[in-house]
Amino acid sequence: MTGTYTIAGVTVNVSTIYDGFHIFAGDYVSGGEPDFFAATSHDDIEFERSQPGGDLCDDSYLEALAVFRKISERMPDYDSFLFHCSALSVDGFGYVFAAPSGTGKSTHAALWRKLLGERLVMVNDDKPMIRAGIDSAEVYGSPFNGKHNLGNNIHAPLRAVCILRRGESNHIEEITHEKAYPFLLRQTYRPYDKSSLAKTLALLDRLKNSVRFYELHCNMNPDAAKVSWEAMSQ
Amino acid sequence: MGDIIFLILFFYTRKEDLHMKLRNEFLIHQNESETLLVPAGSAEFSGIIKGNATFGEILSLLKDDVTESKIIETLCKEYDAPEEIISRDVKKILDSLRQVKALEE
Repeated sequence: MTGTYTIAGVTVNVSTIYDGFHIFAGDYVSGGEPDFFAATSHDDIEFERSQPGGDLCDDSYLEALAVFRKISERMPDYDSFLFHCSALSVDGFGYVFAAPSGTGKSTHAALWRKLLGERLVMVNDDKPMIRAGIDSAEVYGSPFNGKHNLGNNIHAPLRAVCILRRGESNHIEEITHEKAYPFLLRQTYRPYDKSSLAKTLALLDRLKNSVRFYELHCNMNPDAAKVSWEAMSQ
Repeated sequence: MGDIIFLILFFYTRKEDLHMKLRNEFLIHQNESETLLVPAGSAEFSGIIKGNATFGEILSLLKDDVTESKIIETLCKEYDAPEEIISRDVKKILDSLRQVKALEE
């Protein structure tokens, strides 16, 4: 099966054996001229099966992961990278919450939705793309938006990244890009290709020019959302 | 027949004189005050190692073929610290790098 998709402003022609990726990426179909091509093979499926949890998934899903990996490998060529976080747009500006799986970023995003209502649109609840220009950054939706399928094919200028940690009370502080960097790196797709990795590190460096960084210790009470929103929206 | 004396000579290379360098899939990234060692997705190790400026200097030396002795000698010229302390710290860092399979020896 073949289809053409535009993700984070980059158009890719995808050829697959199964239809899984094409179903996931339905909102991203485009008719543009491809920037690059991604084609899968049975070896790609077997590689995904060898990853943690891979033996629990069917071939179609594994192939979709393989496509997303191939796309993520190329995105640094287009000043973009995959970032594991929950990304929201409020009044047209992008805010992301980053944390290891299970910490509560989706829960916190849900508290923001309750607090901010229609001002907020979900960009992506799992793996958005970030495009890092010299003095601005943009967060984009992508086909992989988490188990609740929360996301849209939209983008917004990225204003703030918040590292989320569980805490008994709610407390937020602004931190430097340098302090955030190792954590950002752990949530970023790390290419297999060394020169793509070097580009990714440089893109993460660029974020310091236009994005603010925060560290939030929070519980799951609605107050947590007020604390983070008031700080991050300044 | 007289006694036949076999003189067997063993040649060992001291560990400190073995050549080593950083594996190709590891990248060095410098922040303002710390150095990060970042493996590409193809490496067995998927974490990140961070350290101070001295760690950064050792990694810089490991970009090319180098021996442990040479690393110690270079740092001794630069830093005003006893050789045994420098030597101890270098060994510790090299052992950490070996643990994450960052060295080619």
